[in-house]
Amino acid sequence: MEIAPTDAELVVRIGSGGDREAEAELYRRMAPRVRLYGLRHLRDAAAAEDLLQEAMLTTLVALRKGRLREPEKLASFVLGTCRLMVWGERRGASRKEMLLEEFGADLPAASAPPTPLLDGERLLQCLRNLKERERSVVVMTFYDERSGSDVAGFLGVSEANVRVIRHRAIQRLRECLGVEA
Amino acid sequence: MSCRSPIDAARLADYWIFAANGPDEDAIEEHLFACDECGTRLREVIALADAVRRVAREGSLRMIVGDAFLRRVAQDGLRVREYASAPGDSVQCTVTADDDLLVSRLAADLSGAARVDLSLCDERGVEQQRLEDIPVRAGAAEVALQESITRAKSMPSETMIMRLVAFDDAGRERALGEYTFHHTRSMP
Repeated sequence: MEIAPTDAELVVRIGSGGDREAEAELYRRMAPRVRLYGLRHLRDAAAAEDLLQEAMLTTLVALRKGRLREPEKLASFVLGTCRLMVWGERRGASRKEMLLEEFGADLPAASAPPTPLLDGERLLQCLRNLKERERSVVVMTFYDERSGSDVAGFLGVSEANVRVIRHRAIQRLRECLGVEA
Repeated sequence: MSCRSPIDAARLADYWIFAANGPDEDAIEEHLFACDECGTRLREVIALADAVRRVAREGSLRMIVGDAFLRRVAQDGLRVREYASAPGDSVQCTVTADDDLLVSRLAADLSGAARVDLSLCDERGVEQQRLEDIPVRAGAAEVALQESITRAKSMPSETMIMRLVAFDDAGRERALGEYTFHHTRSMP
Protein backbone atom coordinates (compact mmCIF):
# COMPACT_ATOMS: atom_id res chain seq x y z
CA MET A 1 0.00 0.00 0.00
CA GLU A 2 1.34 3.40 -0.95
CA ILE A 3 1.64 5.81 1.95
CA ALA A 4 0.65 9.39 1.17
CA PRO A 5 3.33 11.97 1.91
CA THR A 6 2.83 14.10 4.99
CA ASP A 7 2.09 17.78 4.64
CA ALA A 8 5.63 18.58 5.71
CA GLU A 9 7.10 16.25 3.09
CA LEU A 10 4.99 17.93 0.41
CA VAL A 11 6.21 21.37 1.46
CA VAL A 12 9.84 20.27 1.31
CA ARG A 13 9.41 18.59 -2.07
CA ILE A 14 7.67 21.60 -3.62
CA GLY A 15 10.26 23.96 -2.14
CA SER A 16 13.08 21.97 -3.70
CA GLY A 17 11.61 22.87 -7.09
CA GLY A 18 10.02 21.21 -10.05
CA ASP A 19 8.16 18.42 -8.25
CA ARG A 20 4.89 18.50 -10.18
CA GLU A 21 3.64 15.34 -8.54
CA ALA A 22 3.93 16.93 -5.09
CA GLU A 23 2.15 20.05 -6.34
CA ALA A 24 -0.68 17.96 -7.73
CA GLU A 25 -0.97 16.11 -4.41
CA LEU A 26 -1.05 19.44 -2.56
CA TYR A 27 -3.91 20.52 -4.77
CA ARG A 28 -5.85 17.26 -4.39
CA ARG A 29 -5.47 17.46 -0.63
CA MET A 30 -6.21 21.13 0.00
CA ALA A 31 -8.62 22.14 -2.75
CA PRO A 32 -11.72 20.43 -1.26
CA ARG A 33 -10.98 22.02 2.12
CA VAL A 34 -10.56 25.49 0.64
CA ARG A 35 -13.73 25.04 -1.40
CA LEU A 36 -15.72 24.16 1.73
CA TYR A 37 -14.30 27.17 3.54
CA GLY A 38 -15.30 29.37 0.62
CA LEU A 39 -18.81 27.93 0.45
CA ARG A 40 -19.34 28.53 4.12
CA HIS A 41 -18.04 32.10 4.16
CA LEU A 42 -19.09 33.32 0.72
CA ARG A 43 -22.35 31.30 0.31
CA ASP A 44 -21.77 31.12 -3.42
CA ALA A 45 -20.23 28.29 -5.44
CA ALA A 46 -18.66 30.58 -8.05
CA ALA A 47 -17.13 32.83 -5.39
CA ALA A 48 -15.84 29.74 -3.58
CA GLU A 49 -14.18 28.59 -6.81
CA ASP A 50 -12.53 32.03 -7.16
CA LEU A 51 -11.24 31.80 -3.62
CA LEU A 52 -10.00 28.28 -4.27
CA GLN A 53 -8.03 29.35 -7.31
CA GLU A 54 -6.48 32.38 -5.65
CA ALA A 55 -5.69 30.67 -2.34
CA MET A 56 -4.07 27.68 -4.04
CA LEU A 57 -2.02 29.91 -6.33
CA THR A 58 -0.83 31.99 -3.39
CA THR A 59 0.07 28.83 -1.49
CA LEU A 60 1.88 27.34 -4.43
CA VAL A 61 3.92 30.49 -5.02
CA ALA A 62 4.82 30.68 -1.32
CA LEU A 63 5.91 27.04 -1.22
CA ARG A 64 7.95 27.25 -4.40
CA LYS A 65 9.80 30.20 -2.93
CA GLY A 66 10.37 28.36 0.35
CA ARG A 67 8.45 30.91 2.40
CA LEU A 68 6.79 28.44 4.75
CA ARG A 69 9.33 28.09 7.56
CA GLU A 70 7.43 25.40 9.47
CA PRO A 71 6.47 22.82 6.84
CA GLU A 72 4.29 20.83 9.25
CA LYS A 73 1.99 23.87 9.48
CA LEU A 74 0.86 23.69 5.87
CA ALA A 75 -2.85 23.34 6.73
CA SER A 76 -2.70 26.34 9.06
CA PHE A 77 -0.94 28.32 6.36
CA VAL A 78 -3.62 27.55 3.77
CA LEU A 79 -6.39 28.32 6.27
CA GLY A 80 -4.70 31.61 7.18
CA THR A 81 -4.42 32.48 3.51
CA CYS A 82 -8.14 31.83 3.03
CA ARG A 83 -9.05 33.91 6.06
CA LEU A 84 -6.96 36.83 4.84
CA MET A 85 -8.57 36.68 1.45
CA VAL A 86 -12.11 36.56 2.77
CA TRP A 87 -11.55 39.07 5.56
CA GLY A 88 -9.66 41.43 3.28
CA GLU A 89 -12.67 41.75 0.95
CA ARG A 90 -10.54 40.68 -1.99
CA ARG A 91 -7.14 42.04 -2.72
CA GLY A 92 -8.11 43.51 -6.01
CA ALA A 93 -8.25 41.95 -9.40
CA SER A 94 -4.74 43.00 -10.37
CA ARG A 95 -2.94 40.63 -7.98
CA LYS A 96 -5.20 37.78 -8.94
CA GLU A 97 -4.65 38.40 -12.63
CA MET A 98 -0.89 38.60 -12.12
CA LEU A 99 -0.90 35.27 -10.28
CA LEU A 100 -3.11 33.64 -12.87
CA GLU A 101 -0.95 34.91 -15.73
CA GLU A 102 2.27 33.70 -14.15
CA PHE A 103 1.19 30.42 -12.60
CA GLY A 104 -2.36 29.70 -13.74
CA ALA A 105 -1.33 26.99 -16.18
CA ASP A 106 0.31 25.09 -13.33
CA LEU A 107 -2.94 24.50 -11.47
CA PRO A 108 -4.48 21.09 -11.95
CA ALA A 109 -8.10 21.06 -13.08
CA ALA A 110 -10.42 21.62 -10.14
CA SER A 111 -12.58 18.63 -9.42
CA ALA A 112 -15.23 19.03 -6.77
CA PRO A 113 -15.87 16.14 -4.38
CA PRO A 114 -19.23 14.55 -5.07
CA THR A 115 -22.11 16.30 -3.34
CA PRO A 116 -24.22 13.82 -1.38
CA LEU A 117 -27.60 13.31 -2.99
CA LEU A 118 -30.67 13.28 -0.80
CA ASP A 119 -33.95 11.67 -1.74
CA GLY A 120 -36.44 14.56 -1.64
CA GLU A 121 -39.46 12.36 -0.94
CA ARG A 122 -37.71 10.59 1.88
CA LEU A 123 -36.56 13.89 3.37
CA LEU A 124 -40.14 15.16 3.20
CA GLN A 125 -41.30 12.10 5.13
CA CYS A 126 -38.50 12.50 7.65
CA LEU A 127 -39.42 16.16 8.16
CA ARG A 128 -43.05 15.14 8.72
CA ASN A 129 -41.91 12.70 11.39
CA LEU A 130 -40.27 15.46 13.41
CA LYS A 131 -42.05 17.17 16.27
CA GLU A 132 -43.65 20.49 15.40
CA ARG A 133 -40.99 22.59 17.07
CA GLU A 134 -38.17 20.53 15.58
CA ARG A 135 -39.59 20.97 12.08
CA SER A 136 -39.97 24.72 12.54
CA VAL A 137 -36.42 25.05 13.85
CA VAL A 138 -34.96 23.05 10.95
CA VAL A 139 -36.85 25.01 8.31
CA MET A 140 -36.15 28.38 9.92
CA THR A 141 -32.50 27.44 10.28
CA PHE A 142 -31.84 26.12 6.81
CA TYR A 143 -34.41 27.84 4.61
CA ASP A 144 -34.77 31.10 6.36
CA GLU A 145 -31.28 31.19 7.91
CA ARG A 146 -32.73 32.88 10.98
CA SER A 147 -30.47 33.58 13.93
CA GLY A 148 -30.87 31.66 17.17
CA SER A 149 -32.51 34.67 18.84
CA ASP A 150 -35.08 35.02 16.03
CA VAL A 151 -35.99 31.35 16.26
CA ALA A 152 -36.10 31.59 20.06
CA GLY A 153 -38.54 34.50 19.82
CA PHE A 154 -40.77 32.58 17.42
CA LEU A 155 -40.80 29.46 19.58
CA GLY A 156 -41.05 31.27 22.88
CA VAL A 157 -37.99 29.47 24.29
CA SER A 158 -34.37 30.38 25.10
CA GLU A 159 -31.57 30.37 22.52
CA ALA A 160 -29.97 27.49 24.40
CA ASN A 161 -33.19 25.53 23.99
CA VAL A 162 -33.25 26.30 20.27
CA ARG A 163 -29.77 24.86 20.01
CA VAL A 164 -30.84 21.69 21.82
CA ILE A 165 -33.92 21.33 19.60
CA ARG A 166 -31.84 21.96 16.46
CA HIS A 167 -29.22 19.38 17.42
CA ARG A 168 -31.86 16.77 18.23
CA ALA A 169 -33.73 17.45 14.99
CA ILE A 170 -30.60 17.18 12.85
CA GLN A 171 -29.68 13.92 14.53
CA ARG A 172 -33.18 12.51 13.97
CA LEU A 173 -33.17 13.63 10.34
CA ARG A 174 -29.83 12.02 9.67
CA GLU A 175 -30.92 8.79 11.32
CA CYS A 176 -34.14 8.82 9.31
CA LEU A 177 -32.15 9.42 6.11
CA GLY A 178 -29.83 6.57 6.96
CA VAL A 179 -26.76 8.73 7.57
CA GLU A 180 -24.70 8.18 10.68
CA ALA A 181 -25.46 10.84 13.28
CA MET B 1 -7.14 7.55 8.14
CA SER B 2 -9.93 7.64 10.68
CA CYS B 3 -10.56 10.88 12.55
CA ARG B 4 -9.63 10.63 16.22
CA SER B 5 -11.90 13.48 17.35
CA PRO B 6 -14.81 13.66 14.91
CA ILE B 7 -17.06 16.70 14.95
CA ASP B 8 -20.70 15.67 14.98
CA ALA B 9 -23.19 16.88 12.40
CA ALA B 10 -25.09 19.13 14.82
CA ARG B 11 -21.94 21.06 15.70
CA LEU B 12 -21.05 21.29 12.02
CA ALA B 13 -24.55 22.62 11.36
CA ASP B 14 -23.92 25.33 13.98
CA TYR B 15 -20.73 26.18 12.11
CA TRP B 16 -22.53 26.26 8.76
CA ILE B 17 -25.25 28.64 9.98
CA PHE B 18 -22.79 30.87 11.87
CA ALA B 19 -24.18 29.77 15.25
CA ALA B 20 -20.83 28.53 16.60
CA ASN B 21 -19.04 30.95 18.90
CA GLY B 22 -15.68 32.43 17.87
CA PRO B 23 -13.25 30.00 19.54
CA ASP B 24 -15.36 27.01 18.52
CA GLU B 25 -15.56 28.31 14.95
CA ASP B 26 -11.77 28.69 14.80
CA ALA B 27 -11.26 25.20 16.23
CA ILE B 28 -13.71 23.68 13.73
CA GLU B 29 -12.03 25.42 10.80
CA GLU B 30 -8.59 24.27 11.85
CA HIS B 31 -9.91 20.73 12.20
CA LEU B 32 -11.59 20.83 8.78
CA PHE B 33 -8.34 21.89 7.16
CA ALA B 34 -6.71 18.73 8.45
CA CYS B 35 -9.56 16.21 8.31
CA ASP B 36 -11.41 15.11 5.20
CA GLU B 37 -13.70 12.78 7.14
CA CYS B 38 -15.28 15.72 8.95
CA GLY B 39 -15.22 17.68 5.69
CA THR B 40 -17.38 14.94 4.17
CA ARG B 41 -19.76 15.21 7.12
CA LEU B 42 -19.98 18.99 6.60
CA ARG B 43 -20.83 18.37 2.94
CA GLU B 44 -23.66 16.11 4.12
CA VAL B 45 -24.93 18.90 6.39
CA ILE B 46 -24.79 21.35 3.48
CA ALA B 47 -26.68 18.87 1.29
CA LEU B 48 -29.30 18.53 4.03
CA ALA B 49 -29.61 22.30 4.30
CA ASP B 50 -30.03 22.61 0.51
CA ALA B 51 -32.63 19.84 0.45
CA VAL B 52 -34.62 21.38 3.32
CA ARG B 53 -34.59 24.69 1.44
CA ARG B 54 -35.95 22.97 -1.68
CA VAL B 55 -38.67 21.15 0.26
CA ALA B 56 -39.68 24.37 2.04
CA ARG B 57 -39.98 26.20 -1.28
CA GLU B 58 -42.18 23.45 -2.67
CA GLY B 59 -44.75 24.18 0.06
CA SER B 60 -45.38 20.48 0.64
CA LEU B 61 -44.90 20.61 4.39
CA ARG B 62 -47.73 21.10 6.83
CA MET B 63 -46.16 23.27 9.50
CA ILE B 64 -46.56 26.31 11.70
CA VAL B 65 -44.83 29.33 10.18
CA GLY B 66 -43.99 32.85 11.31
CA ASP B 67 -44.01 36.25 9.67
CA ALA B 68 -40.26 36.10 9.04
CA PHE B 69 -40.72 32.91 7.03
CA LEU B 70 -43.55 34.47 5.02
CA ARG B 71 -41.48 37.58 4.32
CA ARG B 72 -38.66 35.37 3.09
CA VAL B 73 -40.85 33.36 0.71
CA ALA B 74 -42.24 36.64 -0.64
CA GLN B 75 -38.67 37.80 -1.26
CA ASP B 76 -38.08 34.55 -3.12
CA GLY B 77 -40.97 35.45 -5.41
CA LEU B 78 -43.28 32.70 -4.18
CA ARG B 79 -47.00 33.34 -4.26
CA VAL B 80 -48.74 32.75 -0.95
CA ARG B 81 -52.50 32.26 -0.74
CA GLU B 82 -53.64 33.24 2.73
CA TYR B 83 -56.95 32.87 4.53
CA ALA B 84 -57.51 34.63 7.84
CA SER B 85 -60.07 33.30 10.24
CA ALA B 86 -61.40 34.30 13.67
CA PRO B 87 -62.80 31.77 16.17
CA GLY B 88 -66.19 30.54 14.97
CA ASP B 89 -65.61 31.74 11.41
CA SER B 90 -66.48 29.73 8.35
CA VAL B 91 -64.25 30.45 5.34
CA GLN B 92 -64.67 29.56 1.66
CA CYS B 93 -61.28 28.71 0.21
CA THR B 94 -59.51 27.28 -2.81
CA VAL B 95 -56.10 27.13 -4.47
CA THR B 96 -55.10 27.70 -8.08
CA ALA B 97 -52.21 26.49 -10.20
CA ASP B 98 -50.39 29.80 -9.63
CA ASP B 99 -50.25 29.42 -5.86
CA ASP B 100 -46.98 28.25 -4.33
CA LEU B 101 -47.93 28.15 -0.65
CA LEU B 102 -51.17 27.98 1.31
CA VAL B 103 -51.41 29.56 4.75
CA SER B 104 -54.30 29.72 7.21
CA ARG B 105 -54.10 32.46 9.83
CA LEU B 106 -56.05 31.49 12.93
CA ALA B 107 -56.72 34.38 15.30
CA ALA B 108 -56.71 33.39 18.97
CA ASP B 109 -56.00 34.66 22.45
CA LEU B 110 -52.88 32.69 23.28
CA SER B 111 -52.13 34.42 26.59
CA GLY B 112 -51.42 32.13 29.50
CA ALA B 113 -51.03 29.04 27.34
CA ALA B 114 -48.15 26.81 28.40
CA ARG B 115 -48.76 24.58 25.42
CA VAL B 116 -50.98 24.82 22.34
CA ASP B 117 -52.21 21.97 20.14
CA LEU B 118 -53.85 22.28 16.74
CA SER B 119 -56.45 19.62 16.04
CA LEU B 120 -57.36 18.97 12.39
CA CYS B 121 -60.83 17.46 11.99
CA ASP B 122 -63.12 16.33 9.22
CA GLU B 123 -66.46 17.96 8.44
CA ARG B 124 -68.12 16.07 11.34
CA GLY B 125 -65.55 17.41 13.78
CA VAL B 126 -63.79 14.08 14.18
CA GLU B 127 -60.09 14.61 14.78
CA GLN B 128 -57.90 13.30 11.95
CA GLN B 129 -54.56 14.66 13.09
CA ARG B 130 -53.24 16.61 16.03
CA LEU B 131 -50.21 18.91 15.83
CA GLU B 132 -48.95 18.80 19.40
CA ASP B 133 -47.12 21.57 21.20
CA ILE B 134 -46.98 23.88 18.22
CA PRO B 135 -44.60 26.83 18.34
CA VAL B 136 -46.36 29.99 19.49
CA ARG B 137 -44.74 33.29 20.31
CA ALA B 138 -45.58 34.84 23.67
CA GLY B 139 -48.11 37.59 23.10
CA ALA B 140 -48.96 36.49 19.56
CA ALA B 141 -52.57 36.94 18.49
CA GLU B 142 -52.66 34.23 15.86
CA VAL B 143 -51.26 30.93 14.64
CA ALA B 144 -50.22 30.62 10.99
CA LEU B 145 -50.49 27.12 9.54
CA GLN B 146 -48.93 26.27 6.21
CA GLU B 147 -50.92 23.50 4.55
CA SER B 148 -49.35 21.25 1.94
CA ILE B 149 -50.05 23.01 -1.34
CA THR B 150 -49.55 19.79 -3.31
CA ARG B 151 -52.22 18.10 -1.20
CA ALA B 152 -54.55 21.11 -1.45
CA LYS B 153 -54.23 21.18 -5.23
CA SER B 154 -55.16 17.55 -5.56
CA MET B 155 -57.87 17.23 -2.90
CA PRO B 156 -61.58 17.22 -3.74
CA SER B 157 -64.01 19.83 -2.47
CA GLU B 158 -64.39 19.20 1.24
CA THR B 159 -64.78 20.81 4.63
CA MET B 160 -62.07 20.84 7.26
CA ILE B 161 -62.42 22.03 10.85
CA MET B 162 -59.42 23.25 12.82
CA ARG B 163 -59.42 23.60 16.59
CA LEU B 164 -56.85 25.37 18.69
CA VAL B 165 -56.53 24.00 22.20
CA ALA B 166 -54.43 25.50 25.00
CA PHE B 167 -53.07 23.82 28.11
CA ASP B 168 -52.05 25.74 31.22
CA ASP B 169 -49.20 24.82 33.57
CA ALA B 170 -51.49 22.45 35.47
CA GLY B 171 -52.39 20.62 32.25
CA ARG B 172 -55.93 22.00 32.13
CA GLU B 173 -57.31 22.16 28.61
CA ARG B 174 -59.01 25.26 27.19
CA ALA B 175 -60.56 25.65 23.73
CA LEU B 176 -59.16 28.70 21.95
CA GLY B 177 -61.27 28.56 18.83
CA GLU B 178 -62.79 26.51 16.07
CA TYR B 179 -62.30 27.45 12.42
CA THR B 180 -64.12 25.92 9.48
CA PHE B 181 -62.69 25.88 5.97
CA HIS B 182 -64.84 24.91 3.00
CA HIS B 183 -62.40 24.00 0.29
CA THR B 184 -63.61 24.13 -3.30
CA ARG B 185 -61.56 22.30 -5.84
CA SER B 186 -60.73 24.70 -8.64
CA MET B 187 -58.18 22.71 -10.58
CA PRO B 188 -59.04 20.05 -13.12
